Amino acid sequence: MAATTKEDAGRSNMPVAVGAGIRIVAWNILSLVIALGIWQLASRAVGSPFFPAPMQIVDAFIQLATRGDTTGHSLWEHSWASIERVLVGFGLGVVFAVPLGLLMGLYPKLYAGTRAVIEPFRFIPPIAWIPLAIIFFSGLTRFAFLIFLGAFFPIFTSTLVGVARVEPIHRKVGIVHGAGKLWILRKVVIPTVMPDIMAGMRVGLGTAWLTIVAAELAGGISTGLGRMMTNYAELLMVPHVIVGMLLIGLIGFLMNEVLLLIERRLFRWRWQVSL
Amino acid sequence: MHAPISLAKVDVDASHRYGPLLVHDGLKFSVAANEFICICGPSGCGKTTLLDMLAGILVPSSGHVLIDGTQANPKEHSISFVFQEPSTFPWLTVSENVATGLNIKGAPADQVRSKVANIIDIVGLKGFEDYYPHQISGGMKQRVAIARAFATEADLILMDEPFVSLDQPTREHMQREVLDIWRHMKRTVIFVTHNLEEAVYLADRVIILSAKPARIVAELPISLQHPRDPLSVEFTEIRSKCVQWLHAAH
Ligand SMILES: Nc1ncnc2c1ncn2[C@@H]1O[C@H](COP(=O)(O)OP(=O)(O)OP(=O)(O)O)[C@@H](O)[C@H]1O
Ligand SMILES: [Mg+2]
Repeated sequence: MAATTKEDAGRSNMPVAVGAGIRIVAWNILSLVIALGIWQLASRAVGSPFFPAPMQIVDAFIQLATRGDTTGHSLWEHSWASIERVLVGFGLGVVFAVPLGLLMGLYPKLYAGTRAVIEPFRFIPPIAWIPLAIIFFSGLTRFAFLIFLGAFFPIFTSTLVGVARVEPIHRKVGIVHGAGKLWILRKVVIPTVMPDIMAGMRVGLGTAWLTIVAAELAGGISTGLGRMMTNYAELLMVPHVIVGMLLIGLIGFLMNEVLLLIERRLFRWRWQVSL
Repeated sequence: MHAPISLAKVDVDASHRYGPLLVHDGLKFSVAANEFICICGPSGCGKTTLLDMLAGILVPSSGHVLIDGTQANPKEHSISFVFQEPSTFPWLTVSENVATGLNIKGAPADQVRSKVANIIDIVGLKGFEDYYPHQISGGMKQRVAIARAFATEADLILMDEPFVSLDQPTREHMQREVLDIWRHMKRTVIFVTHNLEEAVYLADRVIILSAKPARIVAELPISLQHPRDPLSVEFTEIRSKCVQWLHAAH
């Protein structure tokens, strides 16, 4: 057998080389600077107090971060309140959606027989549950419930679809060696479905954030980034509202990056598709 | 005295239909323990279906498939199967793939490690242990599947056109290895191939099936000594007989 060459051994075990990594960071910084520059120019051209320049956002951020908001809550309190709600609701979504998706994927009759109950719920946006949630629940439970609804269906549906991707030949490999159902579930079904579960989780996380902000805007609580934004919008303090928006974007982005990082670890076996 | 443990005597007397499609019509033959059988027949005549029945994956719609007198069952009999289609797990490395069968059987870790290393060496994949299937070639993937099947040292080895994706020298090397394993470890081998030269080179007996619904059209015992010389007169004679039967089978 021919010995492996160096390039062969390194191929796609290391997704991005170090040099290329630095270049990507540089490009991202550059595009960020350009975007901020355009913003700055546009705000100067408009010259309205409702179209603040980037520096005003920074000022608002510093003010919120060091002195807190008009109601005495710090920026961290607001952020953490939102993050905690998302994590609890999203976690519950994963815990219920994955096993249920696997079960219904493996026993299609179960799904076929209960579709009429499950599917209509999918088309009720989580936001439409807010009025009911306000009546029935309070505090963390209310938000966890709403976010659970938002995260559940993307994860459930993609898990369900993923099970159909299991290759019959892989099942046969297990059976021929005398494997039982549990082995096939653990060593064939779950590894096959894992990429779909992760994809569903990323979509679900997006829906979770969408839902949390809407739910917090609806009021009834004193903390949360959505709440903070509504307070400042009522005061017409645009830079503070924008701080809230940017933080929501940033936290969502970071959570997504964490999921992507896990995916990269988990799916080293997958080839990188590029066009 | 040791009792003979690996027997794997096979008795087939079965008919099978997929819905309205009759695939096997009273297929009846026996395989002695430690015999090497090659099965040839027209494409789509039901060779893979037959191996699935022998592996206990598929139950014939009537009749029986017995291993040592009991209904073929992968949980009771020690069977391995090299599939016709690619069958490596893409999420496992080469050595993890090869270890699959041993792990299912619950072999101790150190034994798994040494057996895997040994068989990977035999199939010529040394140095690729930590590669994922998408990083190796089609023929290498097939050798991973072969190694996985051999690692468990099963009593009954089923092989479904295992060497089609290999180049001639590698194919010859693998044929010699299979013969070696078969001779030293005393296994029963049932080997499906379209290549009659391969069949005559390997088998104690070649079974030729007809087109659907499949019956046995000929059984040709081959008593030539190993290693066989494909250029010898006896070899070419048997091979041309096989060719004639296969044409008759269509
Ligand atoms: N799961 C199935 N359901 C219905 N029909 C099937 C199924 N599997 C195989 N068949 C049919 O049974 C027949 C025999 O198939 P099989 O795969 O056993 O052929 P084969 O002899 O292995 O062919 P080849 O040499 O091309 O591999 C074919 O006509 C095929 O269409
Ligand atoms: Mg076949």
